[in-house]
Amino acid sequence: MGRSIQMFEQCFSSAFRPIAKGVKSAMGLLALCALVACSPPDPEPESAGTHALTKLITAEQYSNSLSYIFGPGIDAQVQFAPVARNEGLLANSLATAGVSGGQVQTIQSVASSVAKQVVDVENRQHLVACRPESIDGPDNACATQFVSKVGRLLFRRALSDDEIATYVEYASAAALELDGKESEDEELDGFYAGLQVVLEGLLLHPEVLFIMESAEPDPNNSEQLRLDAYSLASRLSFFLWNASPDDELLAAAESGDLQSPGGVERAVDRMLESPRLVDGMRAFFDDMLIFDEFKTLSKDPTIYPQFTSVTAQDAREQTLRTIIDHTLNQGKDYRDLFTSRSTYMSPALAILYGVPAQPGWTPYTFTDDSPRAGLLTQVSFLALTSHPGRSSVTLRGMALRERLLCQTVPEPPPGIDFSVVTNPDADYPTQRLRVAAHLETPSCAGCHRITDLIGLSLEQFDGAGGYRLTENGATIDATGALDGIEFDGAIGLGEALSQNPELPRCLVRRVYSYATGGPPESDARLALNYFNEEFAAQGYQLRNLLRTIALSNAFSLIKTSPSEE
Amino acid sequence: MSQNRTAIKARKLRTLALCITTLAAASAATAQPYQQDGRIGYVLTERHWAIHETEAKTECPQGMNSRGSRDLFAEQFPEGGDGERTVVDTRLMIEGYQYHTNTATTDIYDSLPFYEAQGDVSYGLNLDGEVSADDFKNSAGEEGIDNQLYRALGCIAGYRKDGPYWFFENDFMINNGYNRWMIELSGVDDLVNDDEVTVTTYRGLDKLFTDATGEGFIAGGTQRVDARWGQSFVEEVKGRIKDGVLTTEPITQAKIPWSQPGVSDGYHIFKDLQLQLTLTSQVAQGLMAGYVDVEQFNHRFRTNWSSHHQNYGQSASASEYAALKRLADAYPDPETGANTAISGAVEVTLTQVYIVHPDE
Repeated sequence: MGRSIQMFEQCFSSAFRPIAKGVKSAMGLLALCALVACSPPDPEPESAGTHALTKLITAEQYSNSLSYIFGPGIDAQVQFAPVARNEGLLANSLATAGVSGGQVQTIQSVASSVAKQVVDVENRQHLVACRPESIDGPDNACATQFVSKVGRLLFRRALSDDEIATYVEYASAAALELDGKESEDEELDGFYAGLQVVLEGLLLHPEVLFIMESAEPDPNNSEQLRLDAYSLASRLSFFLWNASPDDELLAAAESGDLQSPGGVERAVDRMLESPRLVDGMRAFFDDMLIFDEFKTLSKDPTIYPQFTSVTAQDAREQTLRTIIDHTLNQGKDYRDLFTSRSTYMSPALAILYGVPAQPGWTPYTFTDDSPRAGLLTQVSFLALTSHPGRSSVTLRGMALRERLLCQTVPEPPPGIDFSVVTNPDADYPTQRLRVAAHLETPSCAGCHRITDLIGLSLEQFDGAGGYRLTENGATIDATGALDGIEFDGAIGLGEALSQNPELPRCLVRRVYSYATGGPPESDARLALNYFNEEFAAQGYQLRNLLRTIALSNAFSLIKTSPSEE
Repeated sequence: MSQNRTAIKARKLRTLALCITTLAAASAATAQPYQQDGRIGYVLTERHWAIHETEAKTECPQGMNSRGSRDLFAEQFPEGGDGERTVVDTRLMIEGYQYHTNTATTDIYDSLPFYEAQGDVSYGLNLDGEVSADDFKNSAGEEGIDNQLYRALGCIAGYRKDGPYWFFENDFMINNGYNRWMIELSGVDDLVNDDEVTVTTYRGLDKLFTDATGEGFIAGGTQRVDARWGQSFVEEVKGRIKDGVLTTEPITQAKIPWSQPGVSDGYHIFKDLQLQLTLTSQVAQGLMAGYVDVEQFNHRFRTNWSSHHQNYGQSASASEYAALKRLADAYPDPETGANTAISGAVEVTLTQVYIVHPDE
């Protein structure tokens, strides 16, 4: 009962948040929705779960995992070939990604480097827990200890005795073979050279490079499958930490505690309180906001001389810091990310924002009369959704719909003449005038009506994200509309977006996809509705959403039917 | 030679980048609140001693001075390089000339001709308010321009465009944090016309921000005031802005950071320092002029510049010291009556920054 009252208060207050001036909204309808939404949530509906997948580990996950196992001092930077984005996320494609021969070579060079660093004279004392009787030859007892410990963390499961014996045998043979040999002008110590060879092999093993999920019968329902304990540990860990499970989580999986009553709750709560959650959520939002495009983002230096490679790097960082602080550190309503004036500032970014800055990253709050509030007015969104030399009302509108509302904007029909938009014409000094043709041409209007009215409200920000009042001498009209709500400028757009019911629903959909490794199938509708209701009831707090999803049957149960793919 | 080509290319790129930056920035000018609470700051991003150069070098009708190391060696040892030399006869003797000369106004290399810049045109300001025989007129025809430093240095290759001092003094200013010098205008009601503003000089702590080309500088950066080690660079003076040009009253004595990397005592002392700068919300460009302390100029020169720079700059510190003493035109020593400072001017470009004080 207490929880219901608390939820009602939370929900009521969030439903009746102040509405910005200029935003037209039907208060009565909102109130009705709020009352419906604020009813105590139902328990999780029955769910068939998702498919057990075999997914390629990402380069960042690989590096994060090695960093956990061997410490941050080990250089394990690796680049994998990019995968195609599927329904908004790169993570949705990892189950269909493979590794080419060329990539294996790249990974091997990293594996070789990491293995060498681990057994290096300076590191072996703390990275190899045992001491061999002699460094000049095999020591099976110490090798067994090393292989079983490191192999378990790398494979995300305990190695069998046979597996350990095989690897120790390799280490022994290599120790005898390599002792006293020279490599890069250094005389090899047999024992450590043997470990190096084995470790390099482990780092390249398919079970390390691929996350292989396994299912087992659900003891609560003989007709239902669930992830086995190790697979559940991995799914949780890659979801919340973007890295393989730590020793404690693996131990819980091994002992059976993870799937015992209350076990997964204990594990998830520990993970949600860990500072490693920041790594996990940075990776998620980086994927959701398509920040991988920063790697190839460039601006015309003659038009935007203030936009440098440092600006781009800092723009990405600013948004991720803002999100993490807002959602995890402050525990605030996700929707307020689009109206909040709080962010972080760096000296390079401050130039574009036209404000002073202290060295490094410092918290920064835009003043009440600033034209900036929320993520849509940050350089990351504005610059990524522009062309190299000009802003784009269409790209911005499309990005908002696809990235934040999970909607699909159709591709333009073939044979479109873009010259009216791209060709500078003194008769059309502003983007509004240039894109008017979109809305007047029937073949264009259908799609552009849902994108351009959004983008036009952001026109007071140029293609680099700098603020402007005029374009080619003409005053910019920044009025716009989103799904029937009209406003003037970016602040109004942020307010309208924050109140759009699709905004939190989209986050829920993306988080669930990211957590389970694929786009939700049609039978996930009930589960998604449940997550949406819980998200609303709990004040749209990200940590609560993560917990709800991680503890759900929809997360851990495995379908018995073949994949729809 | 390749050094010159590099310098020319760098200069052209810098000029191009500055033009682009200014044009691009101008389009956004209306939206950026560069001037806040009646304050606007600028940080030094380019400076060169004001040397009036003509394409035909008419200001140096006798040619350029030739006082590189090879010239001096030939002068010192006319018999050539054969035979044994003692340390005393060579290195110590040269060092003595460089660092411990007591020759007053005598050039130790006076057997070599020293060419002063000729003509009556120069950059600079009328520092003493008078028009006298030694004064120049500027390109606008204004008479009474005081710049005897130009007369001393104008025919030395190192100070002319693309010479090592011209290039590296600017380059080291950009890249060496010690040299971060800035001005802050306060009490500004109007950046075009304002009868009274206050100008305060500071040393800054932060790096300069280059634009996307890496060659130009962008307005809108931040500089923190060096309140710990920068107190000796702080001066305050009144000024006025007329038709977009700031002119200050003289600062009795100003210390300007002017160091090569890692070299101490890298500063100049200007007496009666005045600024005459054309202001925009993003750039301040013009002249910094005053009477340069000769002893400090010489000390800085000898402790900041290596012999190889002097060599390909075709200059010799002993000769320059003598020329400066000879042409010094202000602040006579009370005992000897010899002038201790020489009129000079520096072409400067400062780029707008937000100046952050320690209490902000």
